[in-house]
Amino acid sequence: MSSDPIIELKKVWKKYKIKKQTSRTLREDIVKIFSNKFDKELLVQGEFWSLSDINISINNGESVGLYGPNGSGKTTILKLLSRVTYPTRGELTVRGSIAPLISVGAGFHPELTGRENIYTNGTMLGMSIKDLKEKESAIIEFSGLDKKFLELQVKNYSSGMNTRLGFSVAVHSDADIFLLDEILAVGDTKFREKCAEKINDLIGQRNKTFLIVSHQHERLKELTDRIYYIEKGKITDLV
Amino acid sequence: MPFKDLLIVFIWRQFSVRYRNSVLGILWAIIQPISMMMLLTFVFTYIIQVKTGSYPKPVFYYSALLPWTFFVGAVNGSVKSISGSQSLVTKIYFPREILPLSGIFVAFLDLLIAGSIYIVLLFYFNISLNYTVIWIIPIFIVLIIFTLSVSLLFSSINVYYKDVGLIITFLMRLMFFATPIIYSIDKLSLKLKLLLFLNPMTFIVENTRRVILEGRDIVLWQFLLALALVLILFHVSYKIFIKIEKDFADVI
Repeated sequence: MSSDPIIELKKVWKKYKIKKQTSRTLREDIVKIFSNKFDKELLVQGEFWSLSDINISINNGESVGLYGPNGSGKTTILKLLSRVTYPTRGELTVRGSIAPLISVGAGFHPELTGRENIYTNGTMLGMSIKDLKEKESAIIEFSGLDKKFLELQVKNYSSGMNTRLGFSVAVHSDADIFLLDEILAVGDTKFREKCAEKINDLIGQRNKTFLIVSHQHERLKELTDRIYYIEKGKITDLV
Repeated sequence: MPFKDLLIVFIWRQFSVRYRNSVLGILWAIIQPISMMMLLTFVFTYIIQVKTGSYPKPVFYYSALLPWTFFVGAVNGSVKSISGSQSLVTKIYFPREILPLSGIFVAFLDLLIAGSIYIVLLFYFNISLNYTVIWIIPIFIVLIIFTLSVSLLFSSINVYYKDVGLIITFLMRLMFFATPIIYSIDKLSLKLKLLLFLNPMTFIVENTRRVILEGRDIVLWQFLLALALVLILFHVSYKIFIKIEKDFADVI
C-alpha cells in the first residue's frame, strides 16, 4: 500500500453555466465559433465558478466530512470524484474504485425488474456478474424488499423501495471509496437505522475510505475523523 | 476490460426490452428488409422495368438491403443512446462508449436474424455458393467499423445538438441513393465509380453481391480503399468522442 493519499484535489476549479441552454442547435454554434473566441478557462456572461481553488487530500481508511450550506459546491466535489464531470482547471487524482451513494438507484432502468436492475446497477459500480450472483441474496436481504417485488418492474416501485434496493446494491460493492450524500435521509426510520449501522460498521473496519456530505454537523462529527468546511465554492476554516 | 460485464449487461438489457415478446422481436428484425425487398421488386418489375443482370430481383435487392438495414438500424438505435440516458450520464461513471455500442450489438442480432432469411432466399432461387462466401467476413468487418464510427460521431454530437436526429434522417435518405442498392455500378465510367466508392457502403453492397451471387473474389483495391477510409473515419470520430465525452454530464 502506497502512502500517497487515496483522494487528492490540487487547485481544482469548476465552472458551470447559470442558465442551461435548453436547445442548442448546430447552426447557432457554427455561427458562434466564427464570431467569438473560445477560452474555456475564462468566465463568459452567465457562467460562474462552482468551485474555486479547492485543495483536498484524504488518506486510505480515513473518514472525512464535507460541511456547508446548500449550493456551496459539496455535490460538485462528489460529482468530480465519481468522474461524472471533470474539473475546468486543476488536478484531481483518485487512487481506487468509487461507489457513489449520491443518488442511489439513479442507474435503475424503469422497464426492467428489481432483480435485473441489481445486475445493471451492480456492474455500473464495477462489480462483475459472477460477484453479483454470489451477493444477490445478501443484497436482497439487506434491502428488506419482499421477494415478490423483485420480479416487478422498477417503474412500479415507490421511491422508498427504489432507495432501499439502490443503497443495498451500492453498499455491497467492493469499492475502496464510498461517497455519501445526505445518507441520513434514506428510506423510513427503520431502514435509516440499518444503513447507519452498516456505515458505522464499514467505517470502523478502517479499510474503506469515506467522504460524507451532510448538513447535520453533529452527526457528521460522530462519523468522521475530520471535516472540510466549504462555503461559496471555497474551503474555509470557519465553522 | 473492467467494464466488460457492464457491456454484457447493457446488451442483454437492450435485448430483453426489445425481445421480451420474442415473436414480435424477430418479426421486427426481418420486416424491414423483407418489405423493402418486395417493394423494390414490385416497382422495378411492373412500374419501371429495370434489368438486374441475370439474378432474380429479390436476391439482388436483399443482398444490398441486408447490410444497409443493419447500418441504418445501428445508427438510428445509437444516436439518442447517450442523450436519452440523462439519468445515468449525470449520476454515475462508466465508459460512455458502452451506450452506442450496445445499440450496435442489438442491430447486429437483427442482422443475424435477417441473414437467415437471406439463406432461405438463396436456396429458393437456386444460387449455388462456393468458397468466395468467406469474403463476407472482411466485408462485414468494414461494415462494422464504418457503423461504429458513424454511431460514435453522431451519438456524441447529439448530446450537444438536438437537431442531429433530423440531419441523420436526411443524410440516410441521401445515402440510400448514393449506395448501389437499387442499381448496379457495373456500367458506370471509372470516374463515377471512384466517386461512389468514397462511400464505404458502395464497396460493401457491391462486393456482397459479387462474392455471394456471382461467386467471384473480392476486388482487392476496392477492399483496401474502403478499409483505409473507414479506419481514418474511425480514428477521427473516436478522437472527437473522447474529447467531448468529458462534458456530456454538464451539457446533457
